[in-house]
Amino acid sequence: MPVNSALRIRFLAAAAVASCWSMQAVALNFEYSSDRPDELRDCDALEYRGERYDADDCYAALRVSGSDPRVRAEAAWSLGDLRAANTQFQEAIDLYPEDPRLRTRWGELFVMTHQDNEAVKLFQEALELDPDYAPAKLGLASVSAGRFEDQAREWVDEALGHDQDQLRAHLLLARMSLETGELDDAEASLDRALRLAEAQDLPPLEVYALKASADLLRGVTDSVWTTRALEMNASFGDIYAIPAHFYVITRRYREAIELLSEAVRIQPDLWAAHAELGVNLLRVNRIAEAMAHLETAYRGDPFSAKIVNTLRLIDSLDNFRDVVRMPEMDEANGGAGMILRLHRDESEVLEPYVSELVNDSLRTFSQRYGFELAEPVVVELYPEHDDFAVRTSGLPGIGLLGVTFGYLVAMDSPSGRTDNDFHWGTTLWHEMAHVFTLEATNHLVPRWFSEGVSVYEEWSTGPLPGRHIPMHVLQAVAEDKFLAVADLDSGFIRPTYDGQVMVSYMQAGLICQFIEHRWGQSAFVAMLEQYTQGADTAAAIEQALGISPDAFDQGFEAFIAAELGGVLESLDDWKAQSERAYEAADRGDWGAALEAASAAVTSVPEYVADGNAYLLKAKAHDELEQPDEALATLESYWSLGGHDAGALKALARRLDERGRRADAIDVLDDLLGVVPLDSELHIDLGDRLMAEERATEALREYRAVLALNPYDQAGAHYRLATAYRQLDDAAKTREHLLYALEIAPHYREAQQLLLEIAR
Amino acid sequence: MGAAAVLGALMRRIAAMLSVGLLVAAPANAETHYLIVSGLGGEPRYAESFAQQALSLAQSARRTLNGDERVTLLSGDEATSDAVTGALEQLAATVAEGDTVAVFLIGHGSFDGEQYKLNLPGPDLDGETLNEFLTALPARQQVIVNTTSASGAVLEAWAADGRTLITATKSGGERNATRFAEQWALALASEEADANRNGAITVQEAYDFTTRKVADSFEGAGLLATEHAEVAGDTALGFNIALLSARIATTDQLRNLIEQLEVLEGQIETLRGRRDEMDNDAYFEDLQGLLLELALVQREIDAARAGE
Repeated sequence: MPVNSALRIRFLAAAAVASCWSMQAVALNFEYSSDRPDELRDCDALEYRGERYDADDCYAALRVSGSDPRVRAEAAWSLGDLRAANTQFQEAIDLYPEDPRLRTRWGELFVMTHQDNEAVKLFQEALELDPDYAPAKLGLASVSAGRFEDQAREWVDEALGHDQDQLRAHLLLARMSLETGELDDAEASLDRALRLAEAQDLPPLEVYALKASADLLRGVTDSVWTTRALEMNASFGDIYAIPAHFYVITRRYREAIELLSEAVRIQPDLWAAHAELGVNLLRVNRIAEAMAHLETAYRGDPFSAKIVNTLRLIDSLDNFRDVVRMPEMDEANGGAGMILRLHRDESEVLEPYVSELVNDSLRTFSQRYGFELAEPVVVELYPEHDDFAVRTSGLPGIGLLGVTFGYLVAMDSPSGRTDNDFHWGTTLWHEMAHVFTLEATNHLVPRWFSEGVSVYEEWSTGPLPGRHIPMHVLQAVAEDKFLAVADLDSGFIRPTYDGQVMVSYMQAGLICQFIEHRWGQSAFVAMLEQYTQGADTAAAIEQALGISPDAFDQGFEAFIAAELGGVLESLDDWKAQSERAYEAADRGDWGAALEAASAAVTSVPEYVADGNAYLLKAKAHDELEQPDEALATLESYWSLGGHDAGALKALARRLDERGRRADAIDVLDDLLGVVPLDSELHIDLGDRLMAEERATEALREYRAVLALNPYDQAGAHYRLATAYRQLDDAAKTREHLLYALEIAPHYREAQQLLLEIAR
Repeated sequence: MGAAAVLGALMRRIAAMLSVGLLVAAPANAETHYLIVSGLGGEPRYAESFAQQALSLAQSARRTLNGDERVTLLSGDEATSDAVTGALEQLAATVAEGDTVAVFLIGHGSFDGEQYKLNLPGPDLDGETLNEFLTALPARQQVIVNTTSASGAVLEAWAADGRTLITATKSGGERNATRFAEQWALALASEEADANRNGAITVQEAYDFTTRKVADSFEGAGLLATEHAEVAGDTALGFNIALLSARIATTDQLRNLIEQLEVLEGQIETLRGRRDEMDNDAYFEDLQGLLLELALVQREIDAARAGE
């Protein structure tokens, strides 16, 4: 699209959004490009030194008397009048349509008001006018970096290709290096940036803030750079807010809160810091304080989707119920107890299952990691996936199913996902392992190891048996896409190809399998101790395992060859056989389908996820009237962790038909990890438990049925009555029986029981 | 749904279930008349399923009336506009003020923003005309169930005193073929729909069952629901729209026992009405007494049926 016609459309869009823009004080407005108008420099100098009143007077004078709309736009921006700045940029572009700087700066204004897509268009238009215009490339880099996209580095490299002396490019490089933990690279970029700032007489405050960040990541909390920045500008809130970002992305939320609190103390109108502070207070369950800061942020910056969404999330917490389970209330409650934050519509149903799993995990992990939690764990289950997504906003490489902020776990509720593959039990188990690895190390554990331990625990102690590696990850392993252990964090934070985050999860889990296999489970504890002391991954491996990272990688490669070599060699065969099997099934040739599906199962026996060959094999056996073989196939599928609800229900029914009631119960019990809101499942399981005279367990299932507000309320009460009868609780039996008959006076079975107990 | 709403819905359901005693005690000569219309299917699969649903509803009606004298079924090619209006005229000439008329409309409907039409072989029948014929029926109690697509378009226009109107969709804008009729037909023959297990399906029970099953069918398929049933007018919600075999008296002994049952049902309903003013223990003590009597009568009915 030609620039001018695109521009007209933008004017319309901008006119619409501009009506929302208002006066707002903002973070300091740094522009490092050499073509910033000279008229602004004196005012800038005052602002950089924190002389706000003088700076405002200076900018105001330029705004009134300045004839050049380019200057007026910048002055209005610095004064926090973003609406006027927007109008002035439009006017300026009318006068100077060929000026790439103007479009780039206007784009930066859009970035500031959270309209990245509009900003990107402007940066691209600037590059149409001047393909070598470096600030526009850096604008694009900045947007990509904010989204943790690897493309950011490419844009920076392009910009530096034209001019090596661009301060902002080195700042962006430093920031990205700090995010991936490459501290030496970051320091080099910052040293270069500092020299450029001094040489070009540019403001060094952002360099100082990133220098302080680097110190922070090295464990130095009282950085000299902080002092230097505050000497230059005592109200430069970003000297705390920028380092806080690195605490957040390394999951050190409590420390981030301290820094952000300091940031808003010295610069009360730093709205972005208020917003971050609010979001992070929410992550540590300080809800009232979070709301206060988010409301402050909203007043100053009402256009941030993150702020608005988080405030809405807090509002929606009224629909949730906190279920408190403390050890002093019941000795069955492990650790320091738990607070389950469950939606009111499903809390009664889910609470018994969630609390049992959390208790199991507390016992298991306390023992395995020799660490006792100091606070109750808060577990939030969101029926609306969008609410959960708000929780993870702004965090890189976070799993799509759950997130742990230390003592607070947030995840999708089983009702929040319609896919049949979501196993809430194993997700919660994974997150609970994070609680231990994070808290045992005071949040110093790197992402990869925390994820690795969680995945490993899913596979080895979680509610779902077996190792589960998606097919695309096996393919990535076959293509040698695993990273060196010391670089594995980057696979989470800045993935370079689609699906790399999941590949990194699986690699981390396999690494932990390797560690356990070679050094034993106690090596995990040793690794965690190293991290607690501040070691990086290389040092942790050397100290805890007595091996160099290179030797570790070689050992891991050999482990993978031994563990997965056969599977990797069979991947192509598995795909071909699976395809053959499904094609044969489509044309009704069940003999051929069985042969191919059996071959696929043999090729990759541990694969039970979507598209597995087991279910087709079982179906083929059924079609060929081989019920015993179909049953055996379904049992294999189940024992390996397959959890398709329909398949497991069919398996339970068949086991029951063969008199294997206890096994049928085990299968249905496992299904609770997939579809705990299925009332038929609870009825089925409860009835089978009653038949086995396991009334206490049946009672739990029947209570769940009632909590699901079933159409057949009478039936639900009657079942409860029968369970209480088996437990010899006469009062409860009568109570539920009368409830049942009050609803359905003609209910035969209930009438019969009433006649019996009244005898 | 919030707890209060759930409780409210539950109370309404219980009230509708227990109101059966009063309704059964209607004038001895009051009669129920059924008109079942299955319109154009268009595609064979629809034509077949519409015809099957209509047949199932006719069977339920015949079972309920212990005969087919007052059941009119118009299906397939027979269900022309003239035949439908003719059947309604015939009903108008036959039914008395104290009778109940139940009309079930199955098939495709359409709504062009102004006018609803029931698709029939030959000319369609518009909503206004249909309503004129329905209004001309002298029966004070009417149950009109329009299961067609776009049936929600008639919600306001067809609402009338003494009439309970159920539509498969909430408006004329829901134009996809509906799933309502299939589940409604099941409800009238299903013990599962008989929430109070008294052998009779009330309009409320049938509606609850159907709407739940329709919602489940969409949810189970991972689809957004394209129909949302509505009900207007609650006077006939407690009416027994179908009887299951357990409720039908085929001998004098059974008739006598069922009358005893109805008296007890009335007493239970009266007791329930006094619940708020009673001590909880006393309420359940009295309830238990009545329920035991009911259980004993029921046992006799079952024994009598077993001996038939």
